[in-house]
Amino acid sequence: MPLLTLATFLPILGGLALIALPNRSARVAHGMSIAVTGVVFMLTLVIWSRGTVAGGFAQIEELAWIPAIGAAYRLGLDGLSLPLVLLTSLLFFLSAIYSARISDRAPSYVVLMLMLETAALGTFMALDGLLFYVFFEVSLVGMYFMIAGWGYEDRQRAALMFFIYTLLGSLPLLLAIIGLYLSSGTFDMRVWIDMPPLTGIAAMLALIAMLFTFAVKIPAFPVHTWLPAAHVQAPTAGSVILAGVMLKFGTYGLVRFALQMTPEAFAQAGQVILAVGVVSALYGAFAALAQSDLKKMIAYTSINHMGYVVMGVAVAALTVDLRIRTIALDGATLQMVSHGLVTGALFFLLGMLQDRAHSRDMSEFGGLLGRVPWLGWSFILMAFASLGLPGLAHFPAEFQVFLATLNTAPWAIIAILAIVVTAGLYLRAIAAVFLGSENEKWLEMRDLDRREKLVIVPLLILTVLVGVAPSWLINMIHTTMESLSF
Amino acid sequence: MERDLSFLIPELLLSSAAMLMIVAEMMRAARLALVIGLVGLAAATLLTLPMLHADTTVFSGTYRIDLISGWAKLILLPGTALALLMVRAEIAGQDREGSVYALICLVTLGALMLAGGGDIMVLVLGVVLTGLGSFALVAFPRDDAATEAAMKYLVFGAVTGSVMIYGLTFWFGGVGSTLFSELGALDGKPLIPTAGLVAVIIGLGYKAALVPFHFWAPDAYDGAPVSIAAYLSVITKLAAIFAFTQVLRDLPTSSGWPLVIAVISAVTMTYGYLTALVQTNLVRLIAYCSIAQSGYFMLGIVALGASSLAVPGLIVLGAAYAAMNLGAFAVVMISGRSLDDMRGFGRKRPVMGVAMVSFLLSLIGIPPLFGFVGKVYLFTAAIEAGFVWLAVIGILNSVLALGVYLRIIVPMYQPAQDIDESSEKSPHPALVAVIGITALVTLGVGFLAGFLPA
Repeated sequence: MPLLTLATFLPILGGLALIALPNRSARVAHGMSIAVTGVVFMLTLVIWSRGTVAGGFAQIEELAWIPAIGAAYRLGLDGLSLPLVLLTSLLFFLSAIYSARISDRAPSYVVLMLMLETAALGTFMALDGLLFYVFFEVSLVGMYFMIAGWGYEDRQRAALMFFIYTLLGSLPLLLAIIGLYLSSGTFDMRVWIDMPPLTGIAAMLALIAMLFTFAVKIPAFPVHTWLPAAHVQAPTAGSVILAGVMLKFGTYGLVRFALQMTPEAFAQAGQVILAVGVVSALYGAFAALAQSDLKKMIAYTSINHMGYVVMGVAVAALTVDLRIRTIALDGATLQMVSHGLVTGALFFLLGMLQDRAHSRDMSEFGGLLGRVPWLGWSFILMAFASLGLPGLAHFPAEFQVFLATLNTAPWAIIAILAIVVTAGLYLRAIAAVFLGSENEKWLEMRDLDRREKLVIVPLLILTVLVGVAPSWLINMIHTTMESLSF
Repeated sequence: MERDLSFLIPELLLSSAAMLMIVAEMMRAARLALVIGLVGLAAATLLTLPMLHADTTVFSGTYRIDLISGWAKLILLPGTALALLMVRAEIAGQDREGSVYALICLVTLGALMLAGGGDIMVLVLGVVLTGLGSFALVAFPRDDAATEAAMKYLVFGAVTGSVMIYGLTFWFGGVGSTLFSELGALDGKPLIPTAGLVAVIIGLGYKAALVPFHFWAPDAYDGAPVSIAAYLSVITKLAAIFAFTQVLRDLPTSSGWPLVIAVISAVTMTYGYLTALVQTNLVRLIAYCSIAQSGYFMLGIVALGASSLAVPGLIVLGAAYAAMNLGAFAVVMISGRSLDDMRGFGRKRPVMGVAMVSFLLSLIGIPPLFGFVGKVYLFTAAIEAGFVWLAVIGILNSVLALGVYLRIIVPMYQPAQDIDESSEKSPHPALVAVIGITALVTLGVGFLAGFLPA
């Protein structure tokens, strides 16, 4: 059974079926959306049970596509992509449940969501350079229409900025892919990884092109400016997918393309990339500290968390010790997953708060914990997770990244300051929104209903599970990272 | 002789159809003329298929039956059929309707000659045949704008055509033959290759609307009926591109033509999109974008001989461009000529909206649409030929293109300000058919690109 193909294309087929249906009420559309994303989630669980292999890709599915230029339809998995695939299918499933209240042009919304899921799964599983680029770009179009069509007040400007910024960002990757193709005669990413075709100055130029693309997507300082605008204006599910899934395209590409396909150039530029990671981590934390808009604040903490991932990958390229290298990559990959769970949940919770209050400015709230305990305690738990509290999802990831950093490039450990800053900003936000004197405007606020609890509880459980007993997840990553070829 | 004629069956079919259409027009049976045209085009397309893999010449090497001319027929003939349907939707019942159909088929015949020409004389014949018919087509509405546009088009065409013929005589003088295949003899000679090159660039550059020979295009497209603009922007442009391919692949690169073409390509792309950014008339906007598209085609011309992907790339982008541009113009025929007419279009007509969005995104080159496949081929070809800087400019221009096309896409999904009755009437079935077919090609073929030539 070609399960990978099935999981990738089931969503878009569901979308097409929805278009063909005569009855396209909001109810039918959301029912379809939940059913399809649910089945896809189940499929990815089966894919997980089939497992990966050390030192290469597993569950490969291959089909001729454009034989004349060596491009083929190739899908496969390893310990880097499998956790991200699981994260993607989970977040899309939860987003579908959460979005069921959207009544404005619901069928179009659902079709876009399903198209995005196909693009996201395809991006993580593609083993063909051209195919990867196709999925990578399709996601961009889907997200543009998502923000422009269902976002908040200033959505047009934010969507436009997002589209132009990220298209400009992704075109250098196309150049790099063409360069890799011309020097190897194939678009097979496995060939590019096993025998990096570019050397010397060509490799460095390709690396710079790829770094630009992925830095925009991650986003790393100083090409992060689209992120706060897009996040704040996107509809809640859009923010969750953007932060939880699409930012991972950048970090995934950083490892899969930049590190694995131009390893020598990457090692040469390692210190610079490490510095970008450190600056992003610090900058994200301090910029978040300056926000009073809650959504913007979370958006900036994403830059901070993704900064740690960049640090982990850079350290892996710099170190000569295989053990340290594995620790760094394990940490970086785990950080991607943790960030998806934690920030995804935070954006869901902010969406729920905004649904009730139509505001996201922290100064407008106060003392909500007694009024809405489910919302409040969930937010507090996730905030603690986000600031890296031991026992919650981010801790094992960041711990490994810092451990490897300290061992390889001790100067970079200054990034740890960012943890103090995030601790401060989250405590401030919790105090302003959930503690203190109650604002009488919100006396009527309802707590989470059953559907909302259904969305949040899985993320809460997973966050604690990854924090307390991360071995089931780390083992999946570790097998690949130990034998990662670059 | 019989062998030669048997290879020309599609051309012969098309010219006979055109003659019959003139007869039908004389009997005031415009509808019959349309049917004859469509049947003739369909038959010619089908009969092209068996000779797609032929690689030969007929009539002493003057006319080429090869990959380029074969695929040119497969693109231009169905493209013309779609254009005929669009014309029908726009001018049905008007005086001289049948003449328009006949003229269109004759211009397409000229286009086929350009795409298959292997000889200076055939090239000149193609330029004249496409030119004369096009001037009349632009002047069809007989109002001031159309007359002025046709006049501009004619004068420009006459001047560039004469310059071209004059310059080409240098090649004949240098080689002693009018065949392109003999042009290799010019290798290393000074000046003579350049004289002919300048002539070809002026003559065909005018037809393909390359900067700086593009001035007629926006006026002609805007003055002519929208369907004629669609036809001219696709058929005559592609014919000129294919003619460029036939000539330049035989011209020795020692004359430095790739660099000249590369510079023209860069300027054309950039100028086209920059100017499109400030247009408020949809037809003019698309006109400037199609100027920019000519620049993209030149990416493939530059790489002729240096990359095996150049010719397949030109064919793939040619097919994609025909579908996207015809489709986009067909949508404009429904929405109206002004950018403001697009406001709320996507909400009012969701399916057409999706079709329009896919045409525009495909023109930018966003995957997985058809235009993306063509552009990847051409970027790869240009880089393989050593023109990395040109590929970079092309890629940067894609961002400019996004800015241009978003000016159409963004208002499409804003709430319409007022709902006027005129736009509520259901569109002509022929237009719906054209949009359906072109959208299918744009959306579907991106995935099936493996079946295309390479």
